[in-house]
Amino acid sequence: MGKILTVRLARLVATLFAVSLLTFLLVEQLPGDPVTALLPPEALHDLATIERIRAELQLDDPAIVRYGRWVGDALQGDLGKSYITDQRVADAIRDRIPVTMELALLATVIAAVLAVPIGAFSAYREGGRFDRILSGFTTAALSIPAFVAAIFFIWLFTLKFNWLPSTGWNRITDKGVIANLKTAILPASALALAPLAINARLIRADMIGTLKEDYVLSARAKGLRDRYILMRHALRPSALTAITVFGLQLGSLIGGTVVIETIFALPGLGTRLISGIYQRDVMMIQGIVLFIATVYVVVNTIVDLLYLALDPRIRRQ
Amino acid sequence: MERDSFLRFKRPLVAGTKPREAKSGGLLAAFHDMPIVVKIALFWLLFIVTAAIYARIDRIFGQALPLQDPFHQPFLFGEASPVEGPSSAHILGTDVLSRDTFSRLLHGAWVSLAVAVTVVVFGIVFGGFIGAFVGYVRGRSEAVVMSSLDVVLAFPPLILLLALVSIYKVRSLTLIALVFGVLSIPTYVRIARASTLALASREFVQAAEAIGTKRRSILFREIIPNIMPALFAYALISAGFVIVIEGTLSYLGLSVQIPEPTWGNMINEGRRDIRQTIMPIFWPGLFLTLTVVSLNMLGDWVQQRVAVRSSAL
Repeated sequence: MGKILTVRLARLVATLFAVSLLTFLLVEQLPGDPVTALLPPEALHDLATIERIRAELQLDDPAIVRYGRWVGDALQGDLGKSYITDQRVADAIRDRIPVTMELALLATVIAAVLAVPIGAFSAYREGGRFDRILSGFTTAALSIPAFVAAIFFIWLFTLKFNWLPSTGWNRITDKGVIANLKTAILPASALALAPLAINARLIRADMIGTLKEDYVLSARAKGLRDRYILMRHALRPSALTAITVFGLQLGSLIGGTVVIETIFALPGLGTRLISGIYQRDVMMIQGIVLFIATVYVVVNTIVDLLYLALDPRIRRQ
Repeated sequence: MERDSFLRFKRPLVAGTKPREAKSGGLLAAFHDMPIVVKIALFWLLFIVTAAIYARIDRIFGQALPLQDPFHQPFLFGEASPVEGPSSAHILGTDVLSRDTFSRLLHGAWVSLAVAVTVVVFGIVFGGFIGAFVGYVRGRSEAVVMSSLDVVLAFPPLILLLALVSIYKVRSLTLIALVFGVLSIPTYVRIARASTLALASREFVQAAEAIGTKRRSILFREIIPNIMPALFAYALISAGFVIVIEGTLSYLGLSVQIPEPTWGNMINEGRRDIRQTIMPIFWPGLFLTLTVVSLNMLGDWVQQRVAVRSSAL
């Protein structure tokens, strides 16, 4: 077990380095000189100033050196400063993490909480009308793109019914949980549609198998109520796959919030990344992409290891 | 009675007779096997493909065919008004700049089609071959390929795409399709390799090796034809996924640029008048959703058939 752990951790570190290298190389390719983007047009023919700024920012060093410096700084928590807004990248990320995190978490929770009853009941009444309607619903929910669902929700709940706001974000620290939820529920629901459908299908498929097991039959023979059997006995074996899937979804949702944040104008990582892309803000793009990719890789590794720890069968391979 | 729709074999009417093997009839028999919703999905996809090609041909020949010009704004000539409802001239109405919605939808279909086809072709041809090679030959090439793939797959797909797309200012359809194609190869490689690993230990491969067949020959004649079904099933699902991502990208303005119509940027432009009417957003959203639903349903169905067949062997 310890050996598997060390191997996995070593792979994690190697992957993270490769990810940072790839990010750096990608952003290197961005055309345009950061200095010309920084300076006002009048200053552009003052070659001395340009040279001075380039020396200050150490832009003329070879790529390897700059990469090494960037990674070294990053490991200490310094992701550089934006050339365009002069804000420290690490600060920008720290400001915006709570929004993105809460959005991803809320979406995962909604998807998990709703998927269980839907999947369980579909499995219970397999082939029945409820099952078929829900199967159609899950296929639709899987297929509708998140941003289309988001715009539809805005149209429905803000413009038609005026129940919920369509833009902005109330921080819990500022205005309390209820106000926060009012701004968070629409984007989280739009994000949750696809994971909800996937989880419901998974739970349904798993439980159809579980319900055929002998111990379920004996529970029924004992006279236990169906709902009790469903919730206590039939769900347990699916818990393992369910947890793995939820964990993986949480990881990928962190990157997937980008568009939803843009649509709802939430002050999260996604909007900062997009505005960085529009402005060619090299350091910001680099920093945010590295951060998101790192979280994604780490979460996936944790889920992998958790799965290994929970399912003894895998360990023996 | 089992209401198991996953069973491909029909029950024999008389005990002892062979169950009818549906696939032995070929494509037509496979078509008859489809549940009705999958048939509808197939027809929708055929419609979209035909419409996209029609619009493309129309474009190539300078709007010669009977289809409205997707760039013409009749409002400027006092003919139609923006965000009009359906009429005889404009089947699905007009968009925010009074351009014909239906024609723009068809031209946008071409963009989605081009990207999806590129992804599928790149995936099956390059991904399938690399995966099969790496899965059969194994050794050092496998380690190298799989670890490099792990790095690409370590990024959330949209983030990597955003980073790549932000590099190039020129956003031509060819470039976008190529980027999508290249980025989807890793998952195809994984699937091909997994299928190959399962196949390589089977008797017919071992038999071929025993009689001295060259490895290259085994790869092309035994292995690759047998991983095709799994690859194809995934291809349908990945086509749907890629169409959504392209839609997301063009919604953000990072794909093919306006005034070229794509379903994504039609949705973006439609936001302007959302308080008056949702129709300019509704139609591209509907087309997007229906196309992806159809691809997913078809992909699911193919996957079921493939699963039964390989486990029956």
